[in-house]
Amino acid sequence: MALPVLICDDSLLARKQVRKSLPESFDAEFQTAGNGLEALAILRSQEIGLVFLDLTMPELDGIGVLEVIKAEGIDCFVIVISADIQPEMKKRVMELGALAFIHKPVNEEKLHSILKQYGLI
Amino acid sequence: MSTLGFSEEQRDCLQEIINVAMGLASDKLARFLNTFVHLQVPSIALVGASHIPAEFENRYQDTEAALVSQGFFGNEGVRGEAIVLYQMENAHKISALLGYEVGDVSEIEMLTDISSILTTTFLNGLADQIENSLSYSAPRVLSSAKGDISSLLKNTSFHWEHALKVDISYQLIDHSFNCDMILLIPGEAVTNIQRILDRILEEY
Repeated sequence: MALPVLICDDSLLARKQVRKSLPESFDAEFQTAGNGLEALAILRSQEIGLVFLDLTMPELDGIGVLEVIKAEGIDCFVIVISADIQPEMKKRVMELGALAFIHKPVNEEKLHSILKQYGLI
Repeated sequence: MSTLGFSEEQRDCLQEIINVAMGLASDKLARFLNTFVHLQVPSIALVGASHIPAEFENRYQDTEAALVSQGFFGNEGVRGEAIVLYQMENAHKISALLGYEVGDVSEIEMLTDISSILTTTFLNGLADQIENSLSYSAPRVLSSAKGDISSLLKNTSFHWEHALKVDISYQLIDHSFNCDMILLIPGEAVTNIQRILDRILEEY
Protein backbone atom coordinates (compact mmCIF):
# COMPACT_ATOMS: atom_id res chain seq x y z
CA MET A 1 0.00 0.00 0.00
CA ALA A 2 1.26 3.46 -0.86
CA LEU A 3 2.73 5.40 2.05
CA PRO A 4 1.01 8.77 2.65
CA VAL A 5 3.81 11.35 2.49
CA LEU A 6 3.70 15.09 3.17
CA ILE A 7 6.36 17.42 1.74
CA CYS A 8 6.36 20.74 3.56
CA ASP A 9 8.52 23.58 2.22
CA ASP A 10 7.74 27.13 1.11
CA SER A 11 9.91 26.68 -1.96
CA LEU A 12 8.53 24.89 -5.01
CA LEU A 13 12.09 24.03 -6.07
CA ALA A 14 12.82 22.44 -2.69
CA ARG A 15 9.60 20.38 -2.84
CA LYS A 16 10.55 19.17 -6.32
CA GLN A 17 14.08 18.35 -5.14
CA VAL A 18 12.62 16.02 -2.50
CA ARG A 19 10.42 14.21 -5.04
CA LYS A 20 13.32 13.90 -7.45
CA SER A 21 15.65 12.52 -4.77
CA LEU A 22 13.33 9.64 -3.86
CA PRO A 23 13.83 6.26 -5.54
CA GLU A 24 11.42 5.51 -8.40
CA SER A 25 10.32 2.37 -6.60
CA PHE A 26 9.23 4.38 -3.55
CA ASP A 27 5.52 3.68 -3.29
CA ALA A 28 3.98 6.85 -1.89
CA GLU A 29 1.03 9.14 -2.20
CA PHE A 30 2.28 12.73 -2.03
CA GLN A 31 0.75 15.85 -0.59
CA THR A 32 2.45 19.20 -0.25
CA ALA A 33 2.26 22.15 2.13
CA GLY A 34 3.81 25.61 1.67
CA ASN A 35 4.10 26.48 5.37
CA GLY A 36 3.73 25.02 8.85
CA LEU A 37 0.06 25.88 9.28
CA GLU A 38 -0.89 24.13 6.05
CA ALA A 39 1.13 21.14 7.19
CA LEU A 40 -0.68 20.97 10.54
CA ALA A 41 -4.08 21.16 8.86
CA ILE A 42 -3.18 18.07 6.85
CA LEU A 43 -1.52 16.25 9.75
CA ARG A 44 -4.54 16.80 12.02
CA SER A 45 -7.09 15.58 9.51
CA GLN A 46 -5.34 12.70 7.78
CA GLU A 47 -3.08 9.77 8.49
CA ILE A 48 0.40 10.73 7.26
CA GLY A 49 3.23 8.21 7.54
CA LEU A 50 6.21 10.36 6.67
CA VAL A 51 6.83 14.12 6.63
CA PHE A 52 9.69 15.92 4.88
CA LEU A 53 9.88 19.19 6.78
CA ASP A 54 11.69 22.47 6.05
CA LEU A 55 12.54 24.67 9.04
CA THR A 56 12.62 28.27 7.84
CA MET A 57 9.10 28.98 6.60
CA PRO A 58 6.51 31.75 6.85
CA GLU A 59 3.38 31.52 9.07
CA LEU A 60 4.68 28.67 11.20
CA ASP A 61 8.23 27.32 10.99
CA GLY A 62 9.37 23.71 11.14
CA ILE A 63 10.24 23.89 14.84
CA GLY A 64 6.66 25.02 15.52
CA VAL A 65 5.33 22.06 13.53
CA LEU A 66 7.54 19.60 15.45
CA GLU A 67 6.35 21.08 18.76
CA VAL A 68 2.71 20.55 17.84
CA ILE A 69 3.36 17.02 16.53
CA LYS A 70 4.99 16.19 19.85
CA ALA A 71 2.39 17.95 22.04
CA GLU A 72 -0.59 16.41 20.24
CA GLY A 73 1.03 13.01 19.86
CA ILE A 74 0.54 12.96 16.07
CA ASP A 75 1.89 9.65 14.83
CA CYS A 76 4.29 10.16 11.90
CA PHE A 77 7.96 10.00 10.99
CA VAL A 78 9.56 13.41 10.36
CA ILE A 79 12.69 13.98 8.31
CA VAL A 80 13.87 17.58 8.55
CA ILE A 81 15.53 19.06 5.46
CA SER A 82 17.08 22.35 6.43
CA ALA A 83 19.19 25.24 5.13
CA ASP A 84 19.90 26.16 8.76
CA ILE A 85 22.65 23.65 9.51
CA GLN A 86 23.89 24.85 12.89
CA PRO A 87 24.59 21.95 15.28
CA GLU A 88 22.36 23.61 17.88
CA MET A 89 19.45 23.48 15.43
CA LYS A 90 20.03 19.80 14.73
CA LYS A 91 20.00 19.15 18.47
CA ARG A 92 16.67 20.95 18.94
CA VAL A 93 15.13 19.11 16.00
CA MET A 94 16.26 15.70 17.24
CA GLU A 95 15.06 16.47 20.78
CA LEU A 96 11.65 17.26 19.34
CA GLY A 97 11.49 13.77 17.90
CA ALA A 98 12.62 14.08 14.28
CA LEU A 99 14.02 10.94 12.71
CA ALA A 100 16.81 12.70 10.84
CA PHE A 101 18.28 16.08 9.97
CA ILE A 102 19.39 16.52 6.36
CA HIS A 103 21.31 19.54 5.06
CA LYS A 104 19.92 21.27 2.00
CA PRO A 105 20.15 20.90 -0.90
CA VAL A 106 18.77 17.39 -0.60
CA ASN A 107 19.97 14.73 -3.04
CA GLU A 108 19.49 10.99 -3.65
CA GLU A 109 22.55 9.98 -1.69
CA LYS A 110 21.54 11.82 1.49
CA LEU A 111 17.92 10.67 1.34
CA HIS A 112 18.47 7.04 0.39
CA SER A 113 20.80 6.30 3.29
CA ILE A 114 18.26 7.67 5.81
CA LEU A 115 15.30 5.87 4.22
CA LYS A 116 17.26 2.61 4.13
CA GLN A 117 18.32 3.00 7.73
CA TYR A 118 14.68 3.14 8.83
CA GLY A 119 13.46 0.46 6.47
CA LEU A 120 11.35 2.88 4.44
CA ILE A 121 12.87 1.65 1.19
CA MET B 1 11.93 40.33 -6.82
CA SER B 2 9.87 42.58 -8.99
CA THR B 3 12.01 43.72 -11.89
CA LEU B 4 13.97 42.60 -14.89
CA GLY B 5 11.69 39.83 -16.04
CA PHE B 6 12.32 36.97 -13.64
CA SER B 7 9.48 34.47 -13.80
CA GLU B 8 7.91 33.28 -10.55
CA GLU B 9 9.67 29.91 -10.96
CA GLN B 10 13.03 31.60 -11.51
CA ARG B 11 12.47 33.80 -8.46
CA ASP B 12 11.59 30.79 -6.28
CA CYS B 13 14.64 28.94 -7.53
CA LEU B 14 17.01 31.85 -6.84
CA GLN B 15 15.48 32.42 -3.40
CA GLU B 16 15.97 28.77 -2.44
CA ILE B 17 19.58 28.75 -3.67
CA ILE B 18 20.20 31.92 -1.67
CA ASN B 19 18.55 30.45 1.44
CA VAL B 20 20.84 27.43 1.30
CA ALA B 21 23.92 29.63 0.76
CA MET B 22 22.85 31.88 3.63
CA GLY B 23 22.44 28.84 5.87
CA LEU B 24 26.08 27.94 5.24
CA ALA B 25 27.20 31.51 5.96
CA SER B 26 25.17 31.64 9.18
CA ASP B 27 26.65 28.39 10.40
CA LYS B 28 30.14 29.71 9.75
CA LEU B 29 29.33 33.01 11.47
CA ALA B 30 27.84 31.18 14.46
CA ARG B 31 31.02 29.16 14.85
CA PHE B 32 33.14 32.30 14.56
CA LEU B 33 31.09 34.17 17.19
CA ASN B 34 30.60 31.04 19.25
CA THR B 35 26.87 31.61 19.53
CA PHE B 36 23.63 30.51 17.94
CA VAL B 37 22.41 32.60 15.04
CA HIS B 38 18.69 32.85 14.44
CA LEU B 39 18.33 32.64 10.70
CA GLN B 40 15.66 34.55 8.87
CA VAL B 41 14.78 34.13 5.22
CA PRO B 42 16.78 36.86 3.47
CA SER B 43 14.64 39.03 1.27
CA ILE B 44 16.10 39.52 -2.17
CA ALA B 45 15.50 42.06 -4.90
CA LEU B 46 17.14 42.85 -8.19
CA VAL B 47 17.40 46.56 -9.01
CA GLY B 48 19.36 48.92 -11.21
CA ALA B 49 22.72 49.67 -9.59
CA SER B 50 22.09 53.40 -9.89
CA HIS B 51 19.23 53.10 -7.39
CA ILE B 52 21.48 51.69 -4.69
CA PRO B 53 22.72 54.94 -3.06
CA ALA B 54 19.18 56.29 -2.67
CA GLU B 55 17.79 52.98 -1.39
CA PHE B 56 20.28 52.71 1.45
CA GLU B 57 20.63 56.39 2.27
CA ASN B 58 17.79 56.37 4.79
CA ARG B 59 18.95 53.38 6.76
CA TYR B 60 22.55 54.50 7.01
CA GLN B 61 22.49 58.27 6.74
CA ASP B 62 22.16 59.19 10.41
CA THR B 63 24.76 56.83 11.67
CA GLU B 64 28.40 56.00 11.28
CA ALA B 65 28.64 53.28 8.72
CA ALA B 66 31.16 50.94 7.21
CA LEU B 67 31.21 49.33 3.83
CA VAL B 68 33.28 46.30 2.98
CA SER B 69 33.72 45.50 -0.68
CA GLN B 70 35.09 42.39 -2.32
CA GLY B 71 35.25 41.45 -5.99
CA PHE B 72 34.42 37.95 -7.24
CA PHE B 73 35.03 36.13 -10.52
CA GLY B 74 33.76 32.80 -11.81
CA ASN B 75 33.03 30.87 -15.00
CA GLU B 76 30.26 31.58 -17.52
CA GLY B 77 30.64 35.33 -17.11
CA VAL B 78 29.65 35.27 -13.45
CA ARG B 79 31.44 38.19 -11.82
CA GLY B 80 30.69 41.13 -9.63
CA GLU B 81 31.40 42.98 -6.45
CA ALA B 82 29.94 42.02 -3.08
CA ILE B 83 29.30 44.83 -0.63
CA VAL B 84 28.40 44.40 3.02
CA LEU B 85 27.03 47.48 4.78
CA TYR B 86 27.04 47.89 8.54
CA GLN B 87 25.90 50.48 10.97
CA MET B 88 28.90 50.95 13.23
CA GLU B 89 26.60 50.68 16.24
CA ASN B 90 25.89 47.10 15.17
CA ALA B 91 29.55 46.44 14.52
CA HIS B 92 30.39 47.63 18.05
CA LYS B 93 27.99 45.02 19.49
CA ILE B 94 29.84 42.27 17.67
CA SER B 95 33.19 43.73 18.74
CA ALA B 96 32.03 43.56 22.34
CA LEU B 97 30.91 39.97 21.87
CA LEU B 98 34.35 39.08 20.57
CA GLY B 99 36.14 41.05 23.27
CA TYR B 100 37.45 43.87 21.11
CA GLU B 101 37.64 47.37 22.59
CA VAL B 102 35.25 49.85 20.99
CA GLY B 103 37.14 52.05 18.56
CA ASP B 104 40.03 49.65 18.52
CA VAL B 105 41.95 49.69 15.26
CA SER B 106 41.40 45.96 15.04
CA GLU B 107 37.66 46.55 14.76
CA ILE B 108 38.38 47.14 11.07
CA GLU B 109 40.03 43.72 10.97
CA MET B 110 37.01 42.24 12.65
CA LEU B 111 34.70 43.78 10.07
CA THR B 112 36.89 42.39 7.32
CA ASP B 113 36.73 38.95 8.92
CA ILE B 114 32.97 38.94 9.35
CA SER B 115 32.37 40.30 5.86
CA SER B 116 34.68 37.76 4.43
CA ILE B 117 32.85 34.95 6.23
CA LEU B 118 29.53 36.28 5.04
CA THR B 119 30.46 36.98 1.45
CA THR B 120 32.86 34.18 0.62
CA THR B 121 30.91 31.43 2.42
CA PHE B 122 27.68 32.73 0.95
CA LEU B 123 29.06 33.10 -2.57
CA ASN B 124 30.86 29.74 -2.47
CA GLY B 125 27.58 28.13 -1.39
CA LEU B 126 25.83 29.87 -4.25
CA ALA B 127 28.54 28.87 -6.74
CA ASP B 128 28.48 25.21 -5.64
CA GLN B 129 24.78 24.95 -6.32
CA ILE B 130 25.12 26.39 -9.81
CA GLU B 131 28.21 24.28 -10.46
CA ASN B 132 30.51 27.24 -10.69
CA SER B 133 33.56 28.21 -8.68
CA LEU B 134 34.68 31.66 -7.69
CA SER B 135 37.84 33.48 -6.84
CA TYR B 136 38.02 36.69 -4.85
CA SER B 137 39.99 39.87 -4.64
CA ALA B 138 41.13 41.16 -1.23
CA PRO B 139 38.38 42.92 0.74
CA ARG B 140 38.46 46.72 1.09
CA VAL B 141 36.99 48.47 4.11
CA LEU B 142 35.57 51.95 3.65
CA SER B 143 34.16 53.65 6.68
CA SER B 144 32.22 56.82 6.78
CA ALA B 145 31.18 59.47 9.24
CA LYS B 146 27.50 60.35 9.52
CA GLY B 147 25.83 61.41 6.31
CA ASP B 148 28.48 60.20 3.96
CA ILE B 149 27.27 56.75 3.00
CA SER B 150 25.54 57.68 -0.23
CA SER B 151 28.71 59.09 -1.76
CA LEU B 152 30.59 55.91 -0.82
CA LEU B 153 27.83 53.88 -2.42
CA LYS B 154 27.79 56.09 -5.49
CA ASN B 155 31.49 55.59 -6.06
CA THR B 156 31.22 51.86 -5.56
CA SER B 157 28.11 51.13 -7.59
CA PHE B 158 28.96 53.50 -10.43
CA HIS B 159 30.70 50.87 -12.57
CA TRP B 160 27.91 48.32 -12.44
CA GLU B 161 24.58 47.93 -14.14
CA HIS B 162 22.53 45.79 -11.76
CA ALA B 163 22.43 45.01 -8.10
CA LEU B 164 21.07 41.98 -6.31
CA LYS B 165 20.10 43.16 -2.83
CA VAL B 166 20.12 40.55 -0.09
CA ASP B 167 18.68 41.87 3.13
CA ILE B 168 20.36 39.95 5.93
CA SER B 169 19.05 40.15 9.43
CA TYR B 170 20.65 38.09 12.16
CA GLN B 171 19.33 37.66 15.61
CA LEU B 172 22.04 36.42 17.94
CA ILE B 173 20.94 35.00 21.28
CA ASP B 174 21.18 38.25 23.22
CA HIS B 175 21.93 40.68 20.44
CA SER B 176 20.42 41.69 17.19
CA PHE B 177 22.68 42.35 14.29
CA ASN B 178 21.66 43.67 10.93
CA CYS B 179 23.66 44.25 7.84
CA ASP B 180 22.95 44.45 4.15
CA MET B 181 24.66 42.54 1.45
CA ILE B 182 24.57 43.90 -2.07
CA LEU B 183 25.88 42.01 -5.05
CA LEU B 184 26.74 44.37 -7.89
CA ILE B 185 26.72 42.58 -11.21
CA PRO B 186 27.15 43.54 -14.87
CA GLY B 187 24.24 43.60 -17.32
CA GLU B 188 25.03 40.32 -19.05
CA ALA B 189 25.10 38.54 -15.67
CA VAL B 190 21.31 38.77 -15.38
CA THR B 191 20.81 36.83 -18.60
CA ASN B 192 23.45 34.36 -17.44
CA ILE B 193 21.72 33.92 -14.10
CA GLN B 194 18.36 33.36 -15.82
CA ARG B 195 19.92 30.74 -18.09
CA ILE B 196 21.48 28.97 -15.12
CA LEU B 197 18.18 29.04 -13.19
CA ASP B 198 16.32 27.61 -16.20
CA ARG B 199 18.88 24.83 -16.42
CA ILE B 200 18.30 23.96 -12.75
CA LEU B 201 14.53 24.14 -13.18
CA GLU B 202 14.71 21.77 -16.14
CA GLU B 203 16.36 19.17 -13.93
CA TYR B 204 13.34 19.05 -11.63
